[in-house]
Amino acid sequence: MTTTLALQLAIAGLSVGSIYALVALAIVIPFKASGVLNFGQGEIVTFGAYAALVLTQLALPYPIVLACVVALGAVGGIAIERVLIRPIVKAPEFTLVIATFAIGLLIKGAISVRFGDSPNTIDGPFGGEPIVAAGLRFNPTSLWIFGCTLLVTFAVIAFFRHTRLGKAMRAVSVSPEAAKLMGIRVDRVYRWSWAISTAIGALAGLLVAPLIGINPEIGQLILRGLLGAVIGGFTSIPGAVVGGLAVGLIETFSGVLIGSAFKNLVPFVLLMLLLVFRPYGLFGAADVQRV
Amino acid sequence: MSEPRRPLGTAIGAVAVVALALVASTLGSYPVYLLSLAMINVIAAIGLNLLTGNSGQISLCHSSFMAIGAYGSTLLTAKLGMPFWTAIPAGALLAAAMGAALGAPASRLRGIYLALATLGFLQIVQILIEEFADLTGGVRGLSVPKASLAGARLSDYARFLIVLGCCALAIWTARNLLASRVGRELDAVRLSAPASQALGVSLQRVRLTAFALSAAYAGVAGGLQAIVVGFIDPVEFGVSSALRQITFIVVGGMGSVAGSVIGAGVLSALPEALRPVKEYSDIIYTAILLLFLIFLPHGLVTLWQRGVRGRDAALPARSGAPS
Repeated sequence: MTTTLALQLAIAGLSVGSIYALVALAIVIPFKASGVLNFGQGEIVTFGAYAALVLTQLALPYPIVLACVVALGAVGGIAIERVLIRPIVKAPEFTLVIATFAIGLLIKGAISVRFGDSPNTIDGPFGGEPIVAAGLRFNPTSLWIFGCTLLVTFAVIAFFRHTRLGKAMRAVSVSPEAAKLMGIRVDRVYRWSWAISTAIGALAGLLVAPLIGINPEIGQLILRGLLGAVIGGFTSIPGAVVGGLAVGLIETFSGVLIGSAFKNLVPFVLLMLLLVFRPYGLFGAADVQRV
Repeated sequence: MSEPRRPLGTAIGAVAVVALALVASTLGSYPVYLLSLAMINVIAAIGLNLLTGNSGQISLCHSSFMAIGAYGSTLLTAKLGMPFWTAIPAGALLAAAMGAALGAPASRLRGIYLALATLGFLQIVQILIEEFADLTGGVRGLSVPKASLAGARLSDYARFLIVLGCCALAIWTARNLLASRVGRELDAVRLSAPASQALGVSLQRVRLTAFALSAAYAGVAGGLQAIVVGFIDPVEFGVSSALRQITFIVVGGMGSVAGSVIGAGVLSALPEALRPVKEYSDIIYTAILLLFLIFLPHGLVTLWQRGVRGRDAALPARSGAPS
């Protein structure tokens, strides 16, 4: 493999990896705050993509579409949290896994009924003409996705470090009881953790649409996002982003190195191996339980 | 605490089997086909309920074990010329072996980690079916050789009787299993892992046994589905069928054979009832699942038990949720 090819592959890997990183981020935030892993997050991405499609067809300019999609994602998350998650947030983990999975299928079902299964697409903000620099080709859409991912990552990290709400979320994730005693409104923390997560998910849908097209099956990429989160250890924000990018790189390189037929197996085999040998990820800390 | 053995229950069961066989003999081939599918769902639900309802392990890949049973038995028939009555048990054994193979590492995982591992397993099985297209037909699917006995093709009604027999056997074995030491161990592991370990029950062994047993039931269900439907493809065994099987046991009642039968029975009738609004059936299915999770998490069985035994009756077999 030549250096140019390797670099070119790395660029491609990082651009799909950015999407996985956003999904992993969206999965980790409410998990940290409330211990709920949203298995329906993939369909939030699908929702974002279709929202972008509808708004683009209204001939709205890209920045407005972007703002609307993010806002719609946040509103959707608040609604899901309030109506479906809050009544069962104290239920056993089984209930939460199945409920979030079902929410995803509900969204997917509604989208299939409304839009059918036929594929659609929207354009990226900068057209499709690749930029050539130093003998490497850069797809402007990919660069845009990568840039957005970095921006969102730093914004989320800054949010958890410096804002009141972010600090409250960290406190709740350590101990909801203690946080409540300190006057933190735990319900509000849960609500906003969902809003942020689904806003990021919807943004991922808008960003990925020009690359892979829009169809009801987009939600499938949650599996790569989950793998990214597992690599990152489920509780670490930078870990989730690095994990997502790593999944993109692994997928792209394994496609070239072992052939396209079995490249789809690689992420799942890796997932199983990680769960068995390093269930708390490469960055996370083991969760010791006393009995 | 398993369901106590009730001779009355066995008698009622025997009467129900005979009654079903008689009623079905008067029906046309389509209702008989639907009844067969409903009973196949019951068999699959019983297996999943042993794993999730009794041993307390979440599984998002029950449909993969059905796939292993279906593809295993079909290929044994098509490539090696085995008759269905040896191919289906062989497929079930293969599914059980795969269940044990997944159970060995998975029994160390709980909660979301187990959910992820089983989801990963489902994807691996799907990809293998799609990629080994020479053998499995890939995404285009595989038609199943017509089941025959002593050179004669089985009629729809004969296939129905086979499914009915297997379903009765599945109910009977599961009830006895739950009333035995194995059943008590499954419940004990769910209710308190540390307490069962302190009593000398090996978590690893019990959880692995649960995986293998549940996979065996799914394997039988898959093999039967192949001969009843006559065609198998990977979509049939994807995530949405895994979730449908979870819906069966949530709606029926966790950790109870009666719950599996009621849940799978009621929900198998649903697609027919929803025929006029076919495109909404996925939405309605998942909405029912969500409503039950929120409002009646222990399933329909508890309604009946409340009515019969009064509200005060504790439900030890169903307390202690899976994780």
